[in-house]
Amino acid sequence: MSEGIDRVQVFEPHKSSLPPLKPYLRDFWRRREFATELSKFTDKAEYLDSKLGNVWLVLNPLFLALIYFLLVTIIQGGRDGLGGFTTLCHILIGLFTFYFAQNCILSGAQSITSGGRLILNQAFPRSLLPLSSAISAARQFWPTLPVYVSIVVIGKLIIDDTSIPGLTWNYLLVPVLLLLLGITSFGLALFFATLNVYFRDTTKLLSYIMRIWLYASPVLWQPDMLSGWSRIILYLNPLGPILSANSRIWIDGLTPTLSQAIGCVAWCILSILFGGYFFISRERDFAVRIS
Amino acid sequence: MPDSLAVQIENLSISYKINVESKKTLKNALMRASRGEKVRTRTVEAVKNLTLDIPHGSVLGIVGANGAGKSTLMRSIAGILPPSEGRISVNGKISTLLALGVGFNKALSGRDNIILGGLAAGLSRDEIESQTDSIAEFADLPEGFIDMPVRTYSSGMYSRVAFSVAVNMTPDILLLDEALSAGDAAFKEKSFNKMRQLCEEARTILIVSHALSSINELCDQVVWLHKGQMLASGEPGEITEKYLKFLNVGELPSSYEDL
Repeated sequence: MSEGIDRVQVFEPHKSSLPPLKPYLRDFWRRREFATELSKFTDKAEYLDSKLGNVWLVLNPLFLALIYFLLVTIIQGGRDGLGGFTTLCHILIGLFTFYFAQNCILSGAQSITSGGRLILNQAFPRSLLPLSSAISAARQFWPTLPVYVSIVVIGKLIIDDTSIPGLTWNYLLVPVLLLLLGITSFGLALFFATLNVYFRDTTKLLSYIMRIWLYASPVLWQPDMLSGWSRIILYLNPLGPILSANSRIWIDGLTPTLSQAIGCVAWCILSILFGGYFFISRERDFAVRIS
Repeated sequence: MPDSLAVQIENLSISYKINVESKKTLKNALMRASRGEKVRTRTVEAVKNLTLDIPHGSVLGIVGANGAGKSTLMRSIAGILPPSEGRISVNGKISTLLALGVGFNKALSGRDNIILGGLAAGLSRDEIESQTDSIAEFADLPEGFIDMPVRTYSSGMYSRVAFSVAVNMTPDILLLDEALSAGDAAFKEKSFNKMRQLCEEARTILIVSHALSSINELCDQVVWLHKGQMLASGEPGEITEKYLKFLNVGELPSSYEDL
């Protein structure tokens, strides 16, 4: 008998809707390398690992930010409380960050239906496919940060009276915030990926939803513009507290407020639990639905 | 389960619902709901009350007409489809070749697809990279093709790469669905030799195929599935002969009436 034979797997009907979570999560963790490598290879196939591909990833949101900046300043007709440069920076960092979430959600939502053959041929925790999309989204997001920082540095050198903060300790909170955003978006991607298996036009609809989501998020407008009860919009939006806190760190140079911090963590936990439950409880059905 | 068995299947039934709608979209669902129509689904009973013991080191062939439940059975042994009733115990590492082709990115090279295939099968990057050359060599592609995008491959080359990945994962249990037709006569000979070598190492192989002569040559036991039920099992020659007779004249063996 070969030495490799060391474990017995038993497949039985699942009485509860969730499979046993402990082995599932262990398998998920054991195969994480598959998700990272799959994401690298997918990027490679789309030439995103080339220099020009990287430039395009930065240029795309950069141009969009400029367009939105022009639109916003035209609509506001110069009645802006903040300086023009500050508005531009707010839109830039907001859009870059929002794009991270959007890429994560959009490509994650497609990952199951486009991974058909893989799903039909191999047994593995299916949540590794949206995870791989999330890793790609993160890898595409990193290069936009140095671009933002250089724009701020150049702006501060040219314009004397800009209110954009210099170096503060608050920047140390950015990685925490991005991790929370990544988990929140991954949870949302799990939800939409499952939905897309049952309704194949979900991703089509999702591109409109993401557009509206962008307008409803504090990216093109500042969170301070809302007052009183209307501020609830910021907290009903799963990405709202994170984007507000993000802008507070980058633009105001301040520590996120307690309600922002609670909002970030609450949405993160809620979305990963809900998305995770929705996905994992249905993923054994995928192989039947995909074929 | 007894140590001598690689796979033990007890009273296995698999049924699933399929949606008969032409397009599974939210739009259609809403339109249906507005007309007060229900979703039309059909329950498919793909495998019915199957019990089967597969010892280590055996080569089991599974034959049957289209829709007999062969692929469903293979997927359930691989852990891709959960059983509806009964249980499946699997003792050892499984490697699968169920859907045709490795099924990865056609824009990537054969080498990259081999690495992805190994990672999907649960190997680490180092493990698979050390084997990539031998897998590529086994696939025996024309000079330089292994580093070209898979979309430039002929279908034979494509399935040869897929086959090489599956057999070179050092599986304890190898599941092959319609994979014997990969490549030409020379490659067929090579793949048969590889499978015989795997058997000598006490590894177990399950083959679904319509190529009855290959089944006769390779297998030491054959199971005939018909509409989800096991009609007969036994010596390859005997079973394939019965099966062939059924295919030609539509005659089921008398034992079927007892089922």
